[in-house]
Amino acid sequence: MAEFNWRTLNIDALDPESSYNFDLATLTPAVQPVSTQDVQTLSGQIKQLMRAGQSEEALKGALENPPYGADEQGKNIHLSTVTEILQSIRQSEMTPILQRIYQSEGGSEVCDTLMKYIYKGMGQGGPAAAHSAGKNVTPQQTGFTQAGGRSFGGAEGGGQAMSVLLSWHEKLVEISGPGSIVRAMSDRRTV
Amino acid sequence: MLLLDYQNVLIESLLKDRFAPEATPTAIDQIVSDFDNVTFHISTPESKTRILISTSIKCYRELVQYGAEDVLQREYGPYIVAPEQGYDFSVQVDLENLPESQEEKDELVRKISLLKRNAMAAPFEQAFDEYAALHEEASKYTSESAPQGVREGGGVRAIHYRDEEAIYIKASHDRVTVIFSTVFREETDRVYGKVFLQEFVDARRRAIQNAPQVLFRHDPPLELEGQPNLKAGKGDVGYITFVLFPRHLTPARREEVISHIQTFRDYFHYHIKASKAYIHSRMRRRTADFLQVLRRARPEAEEGTKERKTASGRTFKVGG
Amino acid sequence: MSQSLRPYLSCVRSTLTAALSLSNFASQASERHNVPEIEARTSPELILNPLTVSRNQEERVLIEPSVNSVRVSIRIKQADEIENILVHKFTRFLTQRAEPFFILRRKPIDGYDISFLITNFHTEEMLKHKLVDFIIQFMEDVDKEISEMKLFLNARARFVAESFLTPFD
Repeated sequence: MAEFNWRTLNIDALDPESSYNFDLATLTPAVQPVSTQDVQTLSGQIKQLMRAGQSEEALKGALENPPYGADEQGKNIHLSTVTEILQSIRQSEMTPILQRIYQSEGGSEVCDTLMKYIYKGMGQGGPAAAHSAGKNVTPQQTGFTQAGGRSFGGAEGGGQAMSVLLSWHEKLVEISGPGSIVRAMSDRRTV
Repeated sequence: MLLLDYQNVLIESLLKDRFAPEATPTAIDQIVSDFDNVTFHISTPESKTRILISTSIKCYRELVQYGAEDVLQREYGPYIVAPEQGYDFSVQVDLENLPESQEEKDELVRKISLLKRNAMAAPFEQAFDEYAALHEEASKYTSESAPQGVREGGGVRAIHYRDEEAIYIKASHDRVTVIFSTVFREETDRVYGKVFLQEFVDARRRAIQNAPQVLFRHDPPLELEGQPNLKAGKGDVGYITFVLFPRHLTPARREEVISHIQTFRDYFHYHIKASKAYIHSRMRRRTADFLQVLRRARPEAEEGTKERKTASGRTFKVGG
Repeated sequence: MSQSLRPYLSCVRSTLTAALSLSNFASQASERHNVPEIEARTSPELILNPLTVSRNQEERVLIEPSVNSVRVSIRIKQADEIENILVHKFTRFLTQRAEPFFILRRKPIDGYDISFLITNFHTEEMLKHKLVDFIIQFMEDVDKEISEMKLFLNARARFVAESFLTPFD
């Protein structure tokens, strides 16, 4: 312990009264825990709707029952369900579908949930991968820390999926406004 | 200035001044640098009219081995004096004993300013001569029946002209191969160098069909097998091979070709540096543009109080 | 502007506009301090959900909002070694001149090429929509500048090589 650097120790973390240890649960609306099993069942039902050509109903069904209480795995399953539906809908149908959803009962809530999924979809894969790669790279003599963590030539990878999400985002903002983005940032119930 | 000069401009201008008929002899003591860590010392040790020009070349001993003394003897014959202390080779000109005509004087100036080029030319000349001999020899045989020595060509002449870099020259019966080894000090140089070298390699295919073939690789080429101190494989070392074909080796062109190929390494690095400088200036300009855009975000910059001057010189404020 | 760039930039624009709702917030941890919470991370309830906008695997923007500051990190497209070195040089050049840029962070966060840190003091002093304009224009111009520099380098290399080899012809 002699060489332990005490200056790097975050003493706030040790103090139960400190704001650093603020309990976020008091801000989060109570959510029902959902098991991965249930998410899978739901996703099966939604996919059936989608296969039957009822994309709008599938989308609505998926967004009205977001598994806020599920664990990481369950949330990812639901995310892939949602992105699959989004990709199956043609560009020209986006705005009419969103308009109908927005005007229906509880529509603004559904749109907010969609916004969360769009951002989550865009955040997939990228940063996490870069993060781990960045840590393994030891700085080289040349002073290049970024050079190692990069794979060249894969620039267009995932470009198609992203551009679908970007178009959805654009259409959604037109209808539900920037408030929806603010709610995606501030809602403690994450998807 | 796109291509580099072969002669040392400083020596050239200095001697030209001194050689002018109206110039009065003055004492000189100057050290002049050239590419590849070559230095010259120009001085007047005995009297103001006798100019001594000495040069120090890192690889002089190697050059002597490849016949530099003969070349220098041929070029500077009567002017050669014993080398000055600490230098490899010296020539002396007596201002009172200059050639008569202006042309001859200019020729002398030119010759002396090409001192480095001439010393470095020795191994090239030797290799070109060897090529001529091998070519003669080989023409007596068909390609299959040629004896071992003729088919393979002569040995490799290595000139370690910089601390970490060298030129290798090898003659064969149908070509002379010149290989430069070069080291890139930093990552940026390496990447830029790669772009440049790629264009050197492609230039022949695209535009200049008769140019020497240029090859580039990171491992030492096969021709250099058995050479000591070769650095292999690492990203910052490169080997650039020029293959000079018979059309470049004719006696009429040989002088020009030798001068030109000597400048390759310096030319190449000079343009890498120049590109870096240009890109740097571009970034500077772009940064200024960005700042301009950001400044627009400040409200007072657009409508804030402005000071104006009246005709009598008093200041007052408008707006705000 | 290419087909996929426009929705990308407009998405960044709307996200930034939404994220730049900042208010003055003094530190709860130490008295008479007022620090960007997104950097200090003194208490979890002040940090909001980070949002990512991506165009593809190689180009994306990470927006991390908090009560009094937003951190915007941009990953710039780099298709090959040359672009990598140019981006590296350019971002280094900019960050070394971070002082007059006010909102530029001196060090990008892991996995990104350049980061901006916008605090409530910036949004109070400057016009918010112009700040957003700046980030958008920055993203547009950086791409353009990098590809222009690359083109220049290739053109110069070609010219230099040909000039050297022409005397042999």
